[in-house]
Amino acid sequence: MNSRPLLILMLLGSLLTIPRAICSPTEEADNRLKKAVGEVVAIAAHAPDRKTLSEQVKPVLEGILSFETMTRRAIGPGWRQFTPAQQQEATGLFTTLIIRTYTAKFTPGELPVETFKTASTPSPGRVEVPTTSSYNGSSYDVVYRLEESEGWKITDVVIEGVSMIANYRTQFDAEFTQGGANAVIKALNHSLSSSQ
Amino acid sequence: MNARTSILTALLAGVVFILSINCTPCYGGQRSVGAADDDTDEYSHAASIADPIEPVNRGTFWLNHQLYRYILKPLSKAYDAVLPSPVRRGIFNAFDNVEYPDRVVNDVLQWKLKRAGYESEKFVLNTVAGVGGIFKVSDHIPSLVDLPRPDTGQTFGKWGIGHGAYVVLPVFGPKSVRDTVGFAGDIALNPLFWLAFWFPSTAWLPAVSATDSARTLHDKLKAYDATTANTLDRYLAIRSAYVQNRQQAVSK
Repeated sequence: MNSRPLLILMLLGSLLTIPRAICSPTEEADNRLKKAVGEVVAIAAHAPDRKTLSEQVKPVLEGILSFETMTRRAIGPGWRQFTPAQQQEATGLFTTLIIRTYTAKFTPGELPVETFKTASTPSPGRVEVPTTSSYNGSSYDVVYRLEESEGWKITDVVIEGVSMIANYRTQFDAEFTQGGANAVIKALNHSLSSSQ
Repeated sequence: MNARTSILTALLAGVVFILSINCTPCYGGQRSVGAADDDTDEYSHAASIADPIEPVNRGTFWLNHQLYRYILKPLSKAYDAVLPSPVRRGIFNAFDNVEYPDRVVNDVLQWKLKRAGYESEKFVLNTVAGVGGIFKVSDHIPSLVDLPRPDTGQTFGKWGIGHGAYVVLPVFGPKSVRDTVGFAGDIALNPLFWLAFWFPSTAWLPAVSATDSARTLHDKLKAYDATTANTLDRYLAIRSAYVQNRQQAVSK
């Protein structure tokens, strides 16, 4: 009878620690990112050329990048004027472009040093992980923006202060203003065919 | 017994309350951002710049692109092929060391006195122990590694001066009016410029040493290639990258 309060306190103590272990969004996002970047780096180190690199990292990036959010934000307000079919087509095309743009920061056959700094939570459901990528003495800052929606996924990559999404948005805005959704899709197709 | 049960119930209720607070970011913070929310979302916006002379800028940009592609890129490759990496690094370090006045003056103008102190320490160390700055001895001291590199345009930005219009300079590429004036300031703070001013035979020195010059050509071409690959409009991609990058420099 005397040991009951002690047992209850121990039970409560353990209850307090378990959710803390589960409920660390920053840590969860951070770990997920580290795993994905680690896989990409390992693939890049052994890839013979850029085309192989893009093909091999595709499954990894498909699991960690939120292509729909990225496409929607890059296109901006014009997105609402796209038909569902156009939205699907634009997302598919932009996915390929994002994979190529992201893998362009890796050199096939070379092993970069990726340093992860302390992640921050700018607002609930969002985590920013600052990193430094070093290649042959040159290094640059990369911030990964992750958001929680069906698991933690990257919604933007900011290299040396330059947001990938904001950069594309400037370009999409100009295309959309000139010729609407069709002009955006046409420009995406053109960019993909010319950068192959 | 009843009193004990009440205390335990209260304790449990307290624990449940604490847990609910702890779990808020995890269970209650999930975002569901739709297209309509994106318009006001902070992640959907980026710095922009006025471009009133866009047709002229696009023309200069096209000329620079040809210059980079057909002249500067082959030159950069030849430079890399002829000089081994340690020699290139030594040249880079020595010229970088000479640019100390530009960095320290801007540190002081930005009221970053501690950083100015580190910068001076780094200069003395590299000049004396690094044989005129050829060897970057300061890389072995954690507090002197990766010191931010201030420039005059950044100082103007920190003072609250806006960009003004966007301009594409021949050869030097993208700038704003503010950063063009700042760029002139950086040149004026380069001791080699004054050496060349008084001794014209050394005019090649600032051309090699200054920021935005042959010394940094390799890295700049690499950055240019990375930014313009996979784009819909390379002019807009560079303009957006420039203004975002400068905004980050000013906010540091």
